Amino acid sequence: MSQTGGGSHSLAFRVMRLCRPSFNVDPPLRLHPSDLFVGEDIFDDPLAASSLPPLLSPTTSSPSPDPNYRHRFLLHHSSDAMGLSALLVLPQSFGAIYLGETFCSYISINNSSTFEVREVIIKAEIQTERQRILLLDTSKSPVETIRAGGRYDFIVEHDVKELGPHTLVCTALYNDGDGERKYLPQFFKFIVANPLSVRTKVRVIKETTFLEACIENHTKSNLFMDQVDFEPAQSYTSTILKGDGHHSKRESLIRETFKPPILIRSGGGIYNYLYQLKSSTGSSAQSKVEGSNVLGKLQITWRTNLGEPGRLQTQQILGTPTTKKEIELQVVEVPSIINLQRPFVLKLSLTNQIDRELGPFEVSLSENESYVERVVMINGLQSMFVPQVAALGSTEFQLNLIATKTGIQRISGITVFDSKEMKSYEPLPDLEIFVNMD
Amino acid sequence: MESSSPRSESQMDPLSTPSFSTLNDLCHDLTSLQDLANRGAWRSVIDKVSRARALNLLQNPHDHLTYLAYNALAFAKLRRFNEASAELDSMEDLDSHHYRYETYPKVYPNRTGSMVPFSLRWLHALLPIKLGHRNQGVDRLYTLLDFVRDKIRDKEKNNLEHSVQIWKKREVFVVNCIIGNHLSHKEFTVCLSLLNELLSRDSLDLLLVSQLGYVQLQIGDLEGAKVSFSKVEDMVEEAKKGNGNGSLLLNEIEMMNLVNRNKALVYLVGKDYVSAVREYEECIERDGSDVVALNNKALCLMYLRDLSDSIKVLENALETVPTMALNETLVVNLCSMYELAYVNHSDIKRTLSNWIARVAPDDFDATCTRTTSLQTLLWTVNDRRSSSKKLSSKKLPHHQLSKPTAHLQNFLNILVDEKRIDLQKAIAKEYEFVYSTIIDTELAMVKLESQHWA
Repeated sequence: MSQTGGGSHSLAFRVMRLCRPSFNVDPPLRLHPSDLFVGEDIFDDPLAASSLPPLLSPTTSSPSPDPNYRHRFLLHHSSDAMGLSALLVLPQSFGAIYLGETFCSYISINNSSTFEVREVIIKAEIQTERQRILLLDTSKSPVETIRAGGRYDFIVEHDVKELGPHTLVCTALYNDGDGERKYLPQFFKFIVANPLSVRTKVRVIKETTFLEACIENHTKSNLFMDQVDFEPAQSYTSTILKGDGHHSKRESLIRETFKPPILIRSGGGIYNYLYQLKSSTGSSAQSKVEGSNVLGKLQITWRTNLGEPGRLQTQQILGTPTTKKEIELQVVEVPSIINLQRPFVLKLSLTNQIDRELGPFEVSLSENESYVERVVMINGLQSMFVPQVAALGSTEFQLNLIATKTGIQRISGITVFDSKEMKSYEPLPDLEIFVNMD
Repeated sequence: MESSSPRSESQMDPLSTPSFSTLNDLCHDLTSLQDLANRGAWRSVIDKVSRARALNLLQNPHDHLTYLAYNALAFAKLRRFNEASAELDSMEDLDSHHYRYETYPKVYPNRTGSMVPFSLRWLHALLPIKLGHRNQGVDRLYTLLDFVRDKIRDKEKNNLEHSVQIWKKREVFVVNCIIGNHLSHKEFTVCLSLLNELLSRDSLDLLLVSQLGYVQLQIGDLEGAKVSFSKVEDMVEEAKKGNGNGSLLLNEIEMMNLVNRNKALVYLVGKDYVSAVREYEECIERDGSDVVALNNKALCLMYLRDLSDSIKVLENALETVPTMALNETLVVNLCSMYELAYVNHSDIKRTLSNWIARVAPDDFDATCTRTTSLQTLLWTVNDRRSSSKKLSSKKLPHHQLSKPTAHLQNFLNILVDEKRIDLQKAIAKEYEFVYSTIIDTELAMVKLESQHWA
């Protein structure tokens, strides 16, 4: 096929990823004249100390030669040696792109032919596995003309919200020099990877839930953690817990300029966050909802190179699921003095927490599972009959007990058995009592 | 200039000329060496040193050392690091008595101390890094820092006021080199810690505080950077009112430009490129040779979709202030812009390379003009599906894989021009790999990283 025939296009797309520029870091080969012209200890000599400095100062040496490249050889200021002059450099390679970042690209459509092209309709869109997103479309107002050797430029931006392969599709529909309507498609493929992984651990201590989140950085750059906020579900309030890090005295002197940033190292670095969640409704009974316990989600914002932002949020983080308890068994009264081998009475209440009648019940001491002989036993009939309890109602009853040993003992294993449903509930937690000598 | 007069037994210490009026009093023909160095004529420096050695023009031990230092520096500048290393290896241990004044009482009566130029110690630490042994080099830099600190303590003990100042300056210099090295390897936490150590000693150093800001920007700590920059601004305000501080190493124009450039960076990071350009223009108005402002302004224009003007700014800089503007970073940026703006950019890059070859100093790294030529190259492969959508009645030719497309032919032409056709094997391999992973799809992207252009 001929190369100059219908196959060749007058137009061509040139694409360059336009993420933020970086500072050029290049420690230079530059020095102070006193480190080159003379021996290092010459200034020990008072005569040299007074006479040399004017001689060594750059401005008094021979008049500026032409061309003058003194600035590539001598230091103007000591910190020039660091090589960080704030000179910016354009991104030199495509680099990696991650979920949560913004893909930004400079697109230039060049007319490299020797004739003008007209009525150019340009389109740019991103195609992923799931969708096509239109970034630019000049159909409504086509570019009237691009002269020979001319260009039409545009910059597109797209927030990356999907993983996997993406294609930037650039198309141009135009009339070439011969008046022929031509179509030029060009494709640019890139892959979006996952920048972070978040591992969580939930611990419940009494009324408080603690959420530990560990963030791991899978990218090739260090991530500056701008904000890692936990957004709790409606029934919770959350506070972040921060440790008191080591703050040396020196650091605290310059604290105003320098606040230690949270920087997670590239390629596997981690950082942990700890949140304390409290139930916002106050009453524990009300907040126990049947089913899974949604705690909330993490909103993560990070920055890389020159503040290039990225943001992600996790899925809903779940706490330990709480099942609603149907009945609540509580101790109402324990006698103040319990004597050895003297029967005593334990008052209990049984509350029906659901909206239908439950019962009748049998209350007894469960089978002794441990090897240790049970010290406190039921005095009399081994199981207590408790009649039905109405919906959301409660009833009180008494258990006759007797202790067989002195000292601190436990009443354990008081279990409620629903005779109608044929199921037993969790036993009452152990109750400690003190048994006196008679 | 002529060589020093022949020695005799009764010769005075060559370094004890009462007035130290010219550089040549310090070392044989130093003025000429210095002149060459200022022009960037490093090859000539090497020639001069070799001639001086061959013709035995160097009479005194300290002359030899200074010439050796210039030679090693020249090799390093020309990126001939092995030869630079060889120069240093030709010496004995730098602390040897051979390099002390008191070893030559006939030449330097009443003078004591080391005559080793400090730059030799610095090069000794730097060269392993340049030769790829980073760890060894960094170890040497830290060891050098210890050495300098010992010297400071020693001079302080002996009340050698001026020497103390000089060695303290060297301490700051070495710390800056260390920070620069860590920065190049993105070891930001160490950098911040070292920077803060420097600042705790001299929190009034405008440039240093600004550099802290730059590091903070680089890692993304925007709030921290703003705090640093506002500190600089406050200090400049104070200085303008005449409340002088000790670190006024910058003149007024330099200070004001620094403040503007810092402001511009904050705008840039906030994507307000228009305001950033405005700040940079103020700088350029005050100082037309402010290369940082010129370079960064061009980048801002590009981010404003104005590629043509960004190219103009850089070309203009090279034209009007060539010796200041000619730096590798600016050229890299300009070449990236050329590659984006022109399909056939080899011509314009060749023009630039030729100009550089005429004007640049010996140590200019000309590989920057090649950059990542073709950061991305877009090819259309197997246009089967798209050809059915064509509106024209003419049937578009079906591009067979075996026949080169127009783009490919163009690209190969460029390679031939640039005498890099040996790369075709690597490219063919890439192409094959990419094609084999495509099944009837319309896409091909070949990314040529800069390492392919070694």
